[in-house]
Amino acid sequence: MGEENGKTIEIEINDVSDTLLPRPWPITKPRTKEELYAPWVKDPRDPEGTYGAFIEENVSWEKATGKPWALDGLIVLDCTIWGYAGAICGSYLAELGATVIKVEPLDGDPQRYLYPFGREEYAFEDIYTGEKVSPTFIHEHRNKYSITLNLETEKGRELFKRLAAQADIVLENYPPGTFDEWGIGYRQLSKINPRIIYVWFGQLGQWGSMKDRTSKYGQWMLDPVGISCSEFVHSTGYPADLLPREHGGNPTRSGEAVGDLVAGVHGTIAVLAALYYRENVSNRGQFIEATAAECYMDICDFNVAWYGFDGSIKARTGGWDPNLNQYAWNPCKDGYLMIGGQTDRLWYRILQVIAQEDPEGARLIAEDPFLKEMAARNALEGLIKTYTITAQWLAHNTRAEGERKMVSREVAAAPVLFIDEIAEYEHFIYRRHVTEVYDEHYGRVLVSNSPLAHQHRTPARIKWVGRPLGLDNGEIFARYLGIGPMELKKLSLEGVVRWYHE
Amino acid sequence: MVGSWSFDPPFDKNPETGEELDKIPFEEYCRKVFDPSKTFDKPEALKGWRHISSTMYILSPHLGATLGEYGAEVIKIEMPKLGDPMRHTSPFNEAYLWPETDHRPLVGTGFGFLHANVNKYFVTLDYHAEEAKPLYYDLIRVSDSMAECYRPGTFYRWGIGYPQLKEVNPRLIYIWLGGFGNYGPRRYGGSYDILGQACGGLAAITGWHEDFGGHPVKHTNWIIDWYAGLTGLIGVLAAAHYRRKTGEGTFIDLSQISCSTRATGYSFPLYGRFGVVRQRWGNWDTLLAVHGIIMTGKTDDLEHPNPQISVESRYVMVSAFQDEDFRELCYLIGRPDLWEKYKTLKERVKPEAQTEIYRALEEWAADKTRSEVVEAINNAGLIAVPVMSAKDIYESEHFWERGTIRWVDDPMYGEVLTQNWHVKLSETPPRTKWVWRPIGSDNIRIYHELLGYPMSKLKELWEKGVI
Repeated sequence: MGEENGKTIEIEINDVSDTLLPRPWPITKPRTKEELYAPWVKDPRDPEGTYGAFIEENVSWEKATGKPWALDGLIVLDCTIWGYAGAICGSYLAELGATVIKVEPLDGDPQRYLYPFGREEYAFEDIYTGEKVSPTFIHEHRNKYSITLNLETEKGRELFKRLAAQADIVLENYPPGTFDEWGIGYRQLSKINPRIIYVWFGQLGQWGSMKDRTSKYGQWMLDPVGISCSEFVHSTGYPADLLPREHGGNPTRSGEAVGDLVAGVHGTIAVLAALYYRENVSNRGQFIEATAAECYMDICDFNVAWYGFDGSIKARTGGWDPNLNQYAWNPCKDGYLMIGGQTDRLWYRILQVIAQEDPEGARLIAEDPFLKEMAARNALEGLIKTYTITAQWLAHNTRAEGERKMVSREVAAAPVLFIDEIAEYEHFIYRRHVTEVYDEHYGRVLVSNSPLAHQHRTPARIKWVGRPLGLDNGEIFARYLGIGPMELKKLSLEGVVRWYHE
Repeated sequence: MVGSWSFDPPFDKNPETGEELDKIPFEEYCRKVFDPSKTFDKPEALKGWRHISSTMYILSPHLGATLGEYGAEVIKIEMPKLGDPMRHTSPFNEAYLWPETDHRPLVGTGFGFLHANVNKYFVTLDYHAEEAKPLYYDLIRVSDSMAECYRPGTFYRWGIGYPQLKEVNPRLIYIWLGGFGNYGPRRYGGSYDILGQACGGLAAITGWHEDFGGHPVKHTNWIIDWYAGLTGLIGVLAAAHYRRKTGEGTFIDLSQISCSTRATGYSFPLYGRFGVVRQRWGNWDTLLAVHGIIMTGKTDDLEHPNPQISVESRYVMVSAFQDEDFRELCYLIGRPDLWEKYKTLKERVKPEAQTEIYRALEEWAADKTRSEVVEAINNAGLIAVPVMSAKDIYESEHFWERGTIRWVDDPMYGEVLTQNWHVKLSETPPRTKWVWRPIGSDNIRIYHELLGYPMSKLKELWEKGVI
């Protein structure tokens, strides 16, 4: 239920066909800037409002249109399929202005056909051809051109080499050594183009005793293989004392392919560092390898170091954190509320809020000498005591009430939000963390925006979402290789490329 | 001739032996060009870059640490005496390295501080003091980039915000990292990693569905701090590429919640077009089947004193989503009927099918140990890996030979096991030189040796409590 143009509309979902109707976004109209920055809304940190005005004027996403692009002029060949690491790396580069060409096999990247629970009715259709594509593909391939090229043919590899001669960056994630065997690996491409920066993405590595491999039928290793081998899965989830194993008291994977995500982001940094070195020092490219297991291990706190320190293995703690008190989400009246405040200043403010409604409970923790010191509060007994009292208070509060009470004392608190609530959250709409792209082929598509969209000079922007297969064959082959439609037609008959409309 | 490993690619010849690298098998080639033991013989990508890190916790320090790993000189500024609150953070208050400062020898720095602060120089500065401003300007004048994480407008009020600093150094790349961003109706709320997980969307899709009795699960690590810091670094490095052409610095307003939202895959297109709200789906996969984590009957070491080994190390990630793989798996577990029933991926990935298939897998594995299950599946030519604990990683040859984990011989704290040799670069690999230093240990190195302030002046500032 929501409001549109002041009129309340009911959206009731009884079966699949009801979900297939186009719907408005946002359902609730957000307040305007004038309402938000009304003269009577004084901010103690910025009483004159000059800082706020400066940021709104220079940094907000609304001012992004027309600004220059940071990576303008870079040419990237994204040959990755199946996995998301290369897709995300390519998207970050493309959102910052690089020309990213997604090189797909003739049947396309399998991501195009992976529908949630196999439900093809949730496909996006090309307005012109009716070609279907999955929401995953739409979301993960921003601003990329799509070409088809059969790298298994000699001719296809020849064309690829000619493209690579003009490119700055190559991304690929085929099983280890595939490109090398085809004569288009780093060893060969760096001879044609010494400035090439070549990245291989994978789960465990292209060398070493546990390197990436395929099944005997050729199936690849995909996320969450990497995070399973990185210590992350082992220590994520609820302990069996809190939830029975069959109800979630298990080591738990992430809902999304975070191993690939982090490898993609780490890979992008490596590309940009290599680019910096190439431009400023060496005038040469290099060979880069980013794997989900290692990149995720890097950000997995101190887990392996702690084992090296005294043989400890991190146990699962569900929605809590063993390092900080308070720093957890706990159940409340209508969901979960996250409250965080570790330093004395914030920790006692949380207690002041709780004491308003539960003075005895607050006293139990406030007056415990064991909990007076910041670091000592992190002992397991400290966590159990603190969160027991906090959860009792939460049981009488909804997410909104709890959040309002905590934030009024400047304590960081926020509800666990579902996807629809995020899409309707006023602040995120105002800043376009979630944004609607008007795509030429797919119409209105709601996507999560690039986190780099708010910058003074060169903000990241989404121009279009994942493209129909081979849409840019004509443009790219003509621009870089001088191949016109007649020759392209011939190539498509030879099985080297596939024409968009076929 | 013993040559440098930093030579012009293509890597035609091994500089030490003159061996032709073109002819050797690919894996050999990779071992040579990525050889972790050669790391310190190779140049650093960002040599000469200076970064000021006015940061706390993980999000913004991690950006600086990664710059430091790539060779930048990173100067971390902490409040005098107290330091970064993360220094007081340690799992269950257990793991510390001593000392934290020279004046509190009995207090250590907790392991929470690890990895987000490698290779940094540590100075102290109290921004509130009027004397701090010129000192800060002097640091900014000689720097390429800076990161801060204070609430929006705080630095501006102290006279060191972006509008003021861009006058001091127009080439400065200024990045603010935090929860809700510098503008918008909710901009004044504080934030942590867990807040990003909670209200950015990752929590909504991680863990078991409530129909299975589950709750949203927190990613065990501070993922939205670590990964959002890296995302910010993409912005900084891209801005540096732009600055090379134009000489202009920039301001980046990075919201970590937005990074969590970016990590939700197909959730928003699905909601926006069809109104379907994506939910949690436990250890299985919404796009592929079989592609999930199952529980086996028992662990490999039932006698081990640590229950994390004797009880918990019994999970296996199984992946057999292509038709032939799935058929093989069904025959392996003695359930060919499942293959007859679910011959296509479209059939297999339906919730009802997944429930049946994974249950059958767990029934098959119920009388086996973790390694028996992994072996059986791998011997059938399919893909399975154990869910590895820190002990498994420590004992795996793979991560040692790749240099992913390594004992750093820290100049101050001795041998510390680190896990942050992440991305492999053939020419300019990132590296860890030291894990951290005590609060203010580089005051003299930076203020006196770099900026040239006389020692008498530093003594005066120290007495006033500014540094």
